[in-house]
Amino acid sequence: MAVLIQSILGGILIGGIYALVGIGLTLIFGVMRVINFAQGDLVMVGMYVTFFLFQLLGVDPFLSVVVTMPALFLLGAVLQRSVINAVLDALPQNQILLTIGIGLVLSNLAQLAFTSDYRILSTSYSSSSVALGIIRLSTPLIYCFFITAAITVVLYWFLVKTDTGHAVRATAQDREAAQLMGVNVRNMGVLAFGLGSALAGAAGALVAPTYYIYPQVGGAFTLKAFVVVVLGGMGSIIGATLGGVLIGVAESVSAVYFGSGWKDICVYVIFLLVLLLKPSGLLGKSRM
Amino acid sequence: MKALVFSAAAVLALALVPLFIQSPYALHIFILVFLAVALGESWNVIGGYAGQYSVGHSAWYGIGAYGAFILLQSKGIAPWKGVWVAVAVAVLIALVVGWITFRLRGPYFVLASIAVAEIIRLVALNWKDLTNGAEGLSVDVPPLKIGSTLITDWNSKTPYFYMGLLMALFCVAVGVAVKRSKLGYYLQAIREDQDAAHSLGIPLTLCKNAALGISAACTALAGSFAAFYFGSFIEPQAVFGIDVSIQMVLTCIIGGIGTVTGPLIGAVVLALLSEALRTSLAQAHLLVYGVLVIVVILTMPDGLVGFAVQRLRRKAAAR
Repeated sequence: MAVLIQSILGGILIGGIYALVGIGLTLIFGVMRVINFAQGDLVMVGMYVTFFLFQLLGVDPFLSVVVTMPALFLLGAVLQRSVINAVLDALPQNQILLTIGIGLVLSNLAQLAFTSDYRILSTSYSSSSVALGIIRLSTPLIYCFFITAAITVVLYWFLVKTDTGHAVRATAQDREAAQLMGVNVRNMGVLAFGLGSALAGAAGALVAPTYYIYPQVGGAFTLKAFVVVVLGGMGSIIGATLGGVLIGVAESVSAVYFGSGWKDICVYVIFLLVLLLKPSGLLGKSRM
Repeated sequence: MKALVFSAAAVLALALVPLFIQSPYALHIFILVFLAVALGESWNVIGGYAGQYSVGHSAWYGIGAYGAFILLQSKGIAPWKGVWVAVAVAVLIALVVGWITFRLRGPYFVLASIAVAEIIRLVALNWKDLTNGAEGLSVDVPPLKIGSTLITDWNSKTPYFYMGLLMALFCVAVGVAVKRSKLGYYLQAIREDQDAAHSLGIPLTLCKNAALGISAACTALAGSFAAFYFGSFIEPQAVFGIDVSIQMVLTCIIGGIGTVTGPLIGAVVLALLSEALRTSLAQAHLLVYGVLVIVVILTMPDGLVGFAVQRLRRKAAAR
């Protein structure tokens, strides 16, 4: 029983990160109808920024979120303005291939610049843990979870309470109607892509102390983010949050009961089942 | 007729190449191009004609490679027989997968194809009794004999050159045959408007599955050829990794999808470019693919072939 509770709690902590990457993906999809296959590679960029901030300047990885988020926001906004904006009306397949291309460029540039060595960011608290009765939880993961939660709350507040947030949501709901109401949908696209990238950057910074850092690490995050988003329902932010936590738990429980080699298989099987049985996701409207 | 004579002459010229060029490196480049052509034409059947963008074709490539290797290693079945078993296995699994995933459309199908390939890669990684896990498999290729006369011991590149050429020709021929068949027209109708095709009575799932089966068979064939050619060693990431799938898709996109010549041209361009830049970019040679695909999608969404055709038409109209 303790093992089960332990693995569920561990899964929730990790799930927060998946949720963060997934929310970025779903935000971009919601506003622009583009599925961003470079999402994981943006996480990778965030991880490298955090790594070098720590290595060269001694900045704590959790503090470096305040640098990685704006940096990635800029990168995302530039990518949107220069490349993605040109294919907004293209076939969805071409949009997907374009973002795959962007991902390849990012990961291969990282490989050229930093080689394919695995890097480890180890802080003084990297391997420490907190005991709650019989359950032990890793300290960096706990920090990571609370920062994730804080970022998510701020994002909700932004989307629900501010005028710009309303404009973003209006664009996501009905692009043309939003345009008629005077919303600058072009700028909303840049904002959404920037925000989505910033969230990926934050996720990169937060997992940097617990993951290996290497140029190809993004692929795994991209796939996980898709699973999370499809599970929650494409375009739904609450859905992505829920999906992230569910996938985190499914992964960590199946690692305990089937062995760590098989945990990802369970995740992808769940993904296929959701696609087939409830393609609109748990909280999404059907767009098939 | 003109095209037929031209193609026959081109094939004949290619077949004579090893008589004049002995440099192993030059032959290696030819073999790389043949492999890329075979893979591009294979993907084109499902991605180009049917418009179903699978980004999970590494699954069939890897099954071809692993199937032939496992049969050779554990049962001693010669590769030129084992290949066909591997192809059959790939087709069977592809049909099951197609039956499940073809009810999905557009981006959802893309995502499902990636998930399937990942599941198969993870199974290969974890089913250690069969695949030896991440350590991979290596085999010695037995010499090819007919009766008791030795045909080749595979020490030079020349036998691989002819096998590669045959394979590429076969895949091109399959592409032409599919495109001109009734199935081909059905597939193109599905690509252009699935609902309209359905209402005209075209059996969607059956046609898509037929295309996937043909595509998977050719891909598996190319996969096992590649595995034997590239040093007789395979491991899950190398053959089941998403890079393999992406290279197949990009070959077609860059050349021009849904045409027979597109993947041919894409294969030549990509194979030569990535080989030329291999020394300067080392591990990062996929950078070329990334940059090329961005440029092609932004500036010529119908690929090099579509771009050239458009240019010619414009010139003709100007006259």
